[in-house]
Amino acid sequence: MTARILIIEDEALVAMELRFVLEDLGHDVVATVADARSAREVVQETDVDLALVDIHLSDGPTGVALGRELGQDLGVSVLFMTANPGMVRGGVAGTIGVLSKPTDEAAVQKAVDYALRRRQGQPVLYAPPELQLFG
Amino acid sequence: MNPTTNNTADWSEADRLAALRAYDILDTPREGAFDDIVNLVARHFDAPIAVINLIDEGRQWFKAETGLGVRETPLDTSFCAHAILAEDRMVVPDATKDDRFACNPLVTAEPHLRFYAGQVLKSAEGLPIGTLCVLDTKVRPDGPTPLQMETLEVLAAQVMTQLDLRRALAGQQQSQAQFRAIADSMPQMVWSTLPDGFHDYYNARWYEFTGVPDGSTDGEGWNGMFHPEDQDRAWATWRRCLETGDPYEIEYRLRRHDGVYRWTLGRARPIRNETGEITRWFGTCTDIDDLKRSDQAKELLSQELSHRIKNIFAVVSALIALSARQHPEAKEFAGAVRTRINALARAHEFVRPHTENSRPTVGTMTLHAFLTDLFKAYSELTGTPRVVVTGDDATFDDQAATSVALLFHELATNAAKYGALSAEGGKVTLDTRRLDDRFVLTWTETGGPAVEGAPVQTGFGTSLATLSVEGQLGGRLERKWLREGLQVVADLPATALSRRRAAQNAA
Repeated sequence: MTARILIIEDEALVAMELRFVLEDLGHDVVATVADARSAREVVQETDVDLALVDIHLSDGPTGVALGRELGQDLGVSVLFMTANPGMVRGGVAGTIGVLSKPTDEAAVQKAVDYALRRRQGQPVLYAPPELQLFG
Repeated sequence: MNPTTNNTADWSEADRLAALRAYDILDTPREGAFDDIVNLVARHFDAPIAVINLIDEGRQWFKAETGLGVRETPLDTSFCAHAILAEDRMVVPDATKDDRFACNPLVTAEPHLRFYAGQVLKSAEGLPIGTLCVLDTKVRPDGPTPLQMETLEVLAAQVMTQLDLRRALAGQQQSQAQFRAIADSMPQMVWSTLPDGFHDYYNARWYEFTGVPDGSTDGEGWNGMFHPEDQDRAWATWRRCLETGDPYEIEYRLRRHDGVYRWTLGRARPIRNETGEITRWFGTCTDIDDLKRSDQAKELLSQELSHRIKNIFAVVSALIALSARQHPEAKEFAGAVRTRINALARAHEFVRPHTENSRPTVGTMTLHAFLTDLFKAYSELTGTPRVVVTGDDATFDDQAATSVALLFHELATNAAKYGALSAEGGKVTLDTRRLDDRFVLTWTETGGPAVEGAPVQTGFGTSLATLSVEGQLGGRLERKWLREGLQVVADLPATALSRRRAAQNAA
């Protein structure tokens, strides 16, 4: 199952490593962006299945509102990936959950698979343990 | 006879004089209220002389007199000095027939005194300070009438009431002056209100800070001095306190004389009378603007620092993975380093300074919470943990975090590669126990491949675990290669996990 994935991450090295991991898994990384405005532009121009959203971006802690907007209004599945999961402790409407950074390939793969299965309405029994689900 | 030589009195002359002087009445001008009393007494007794006489040291001084024409006389010719030794009153119908006065120059010569009646003036403490007395130059063999003596007694009591009231009033004025002196020298603003909240007092600092004219903030005018956004809240809080009598406390912005609003801490307490009724409110305003700013800056810095620390781990981890991409032969090595870095990052998540928002989602910041989080990756698909943590929980600090993280990361990766976690159904229990001054962690693997004995070669992971426990934490690490699985016992000093706090407690 391949998907069109948008990486929203302001740390270039982390974004690049994530892109490689996702491409190795056969996914199509449509873009990596570092701020909320660029993310909206990409989503308006391109179909995106899944967005991996960091919370602290180059324009500040804009990730939470961005994730909510993408998930609730723009039909994108959203997984937060952050070093500070406490920022979304209470959950964010319209998004799936949060993966704590740093993480590894296996955890990314499991979390992305889980998100995509849910997006396609496939039954998913168990969420990967590293992924904190909302709601 | 001199009062100081009297042996029957139950007071000392020093106490008596102190009581007299506390009234602060000696050598004050004549006053109508007291003059009226002696005039009335003289007329009522139909006598030429009446006096309010205060017995001082070596002299008697008259607050009021009629028929004498002097304000003081020496004590050695005094009738009253004798009277104050009497219980309450003294009557001398004919001085020439009284051993105490027959030789008194005032009797033998001018003005030839014969009759004396005196009622003792007693201080609130019961000490005699003088008399209200009446004198005549004619003998009165029948003495005064009962009505005359009753009048003398009642009027003497009135004299003391007057004196006591004056003393109380003077005391109050002094304590008020003291309060104002203290209030005006305080760095805080001080204010006071009537029970209904009507502001009627502000100290000098209030006017200095706000720059408003004296009295202009009396009544309800105070509220206008605060930031428009804070006024409703301040008003509502104040109203509620007035109704309930609860202490008032609020942070609001007060306008300084230069127009700048400064964050201020306002507090007030009610003063109650004996029956519990509020008689006044006393309040203060303290400028906390600088404090507030530095708190905000600190909070921001700490938050920023927290984000940075965690982000650095993520960047290092990504850097290792990216570097290894160019070298497929390094993949395994890079993977091992990365997972160690990730374990460290997790441990530090539990010990770095946190703000409310940066706290990890897991509730408590304890050893068990961290270990449970670390072992999550090894859980069954269903989420059932395969490493079960039991026993006494503990807190750990940043100094212990690295060691704890590396130790259990190595044990878990090893178990996943070769031990209990490498086989389906294999399990690990980790029991942590506080035993007197030791903290013992026992890692027991079961259900894995049968153990044939200690491995011939030990890897770097094993060295890391040993180094963590024996080098960093100052404990002992023992490995038992039991047939059903590896058992590892880390025996630590109880203080090893929180050395800094232990040191603080000892200090």
